[in-house]
Amino acid sequence: MTTATFVPPNVLPSLLQKFAVLLRRKWFRELVLVVPTITRRRFSNKTEDYGVFKPSLASGIGQVSIYVQNIARSRAWYEQLAGLRHGRTCEPEPHPAKDGWQIRCCYMSAPEHEECLVLIEERDPAGNITIPSGMSFFHTAFELQGNRLEDVITFATQAKQAGFSRNYGVVRHNGEPPLGDGETGGNIACYFYDPDYNNVEFFGAMDTIENYGARYGATKGSARV
Amino acid sequence: MTPQTASQPAPVAAAKLQHHVIYVNDLAKSKDFYINLFDLQLSALNHPDSSAAMRLSKQEMHFFSFGFYHHDICLVKHHKLKMDNGSMLHFCLVARDAAAFDDIRQRAARMALPQREGRMLASAKILAGQRAFCVQDPNFHWLEIIGDSAP
Repeated sequence: MTTATFVPPNVLPSLLQKFAVLLRRKWFRELVLVVPTITRRRFSNKTEDYGVFKPSLASGIGQVSIYVQNIARSRAWYEQLAGLRHGRTCEPEPHPAKDGWQIRCCYMSAPEHEECLVLIEERDPAGNITIPSGMSFFHTAFELQGNRLEDVITFATQAKQAGFSRNYGVVRHNGEPPLGDGETGGNIACYFYDPDYNNVEFFGAMDTIENYGARYGATKGSARV
Repeated sequence: MTPQTASQPAPVAAAKLQHHVIYVNDLAKSKDFYINLFDLQLSALNHPDSSAAMRLSKQEMHFFSFGFYHHDICLVKHHKLKMDNGSMLHFCLVARDAAAFDDIRQRAARMALPQREGRMLASAKILAGQRAFCVQDPNFHWLEIIGDSAP
């Protein structure tokens, strides 16, 4: 891809971004789901209807590396919006998976996560920088300091004041009013596109295996649709 | 960033990268891969027949937990658009402990996954006592596994 103005196909048009707030209304969600409801294809998406939690062999995300067109521009975005700290930007190095291609890596850190994000400029053998496609990941997500509803609201407010536009949220990913959008996880979240349309979530208060049972007890998910 | 005054609350910043949501072509194949390699557990399924947001966005999301948070990795199938490997170079999962790292490595061998030794990025740091290797998932996403050596 070489078009500088490329907008990935999964990017929400701005009109839809405005209407997405309707997902916080139960009547709207019911309307959208009327066909699977009538045809009895609808099913529960609630966590307790699935597996029993136990530790897996992985304990966390260590690092994510994403393509950007301009490290300086993206670095400024992650510093100003997310409060990430620049660690180091390296000299060009061979692409680890594409012969003849080169990459340049900029390592960004969060207060509790060293070098969690790598911003990568990728150049083809002719030296042309590539344009990120937007179609490798739906979003990547940062937990906010404080990890509470109020912290997410404060974050969204400070972002707006600084001129950053959300593409979705603030919502809570469950069915509870006033913020619930009917999704799962319980996290209170807002989403932004970075300068290359990489989608980034900032959230707090995600359900954990400890608090999930406390919240819903023995109520089956199908009873809470 | 403007300096804070006594009357302003401190800005809220990101504390850590917590979860990552990747596009996949084949959900069944991808689920098998991540479950078999890491013992991940399905923690929720958002489907166009169960979720208004998924119905509108024509997507299907399968959530997986590492055992503490509701979800750490999510696999997403877009029912109208084709995924590719053009916006992410890799992502890294941390093994729970040295035994888990060995277990993942043995499972990768049993699954006949070609393994690349060391970290994915030549410029990435490797701390003393750390080990790393990389594999590709069924969608050709590069996945790095990092962990401590046995004490």
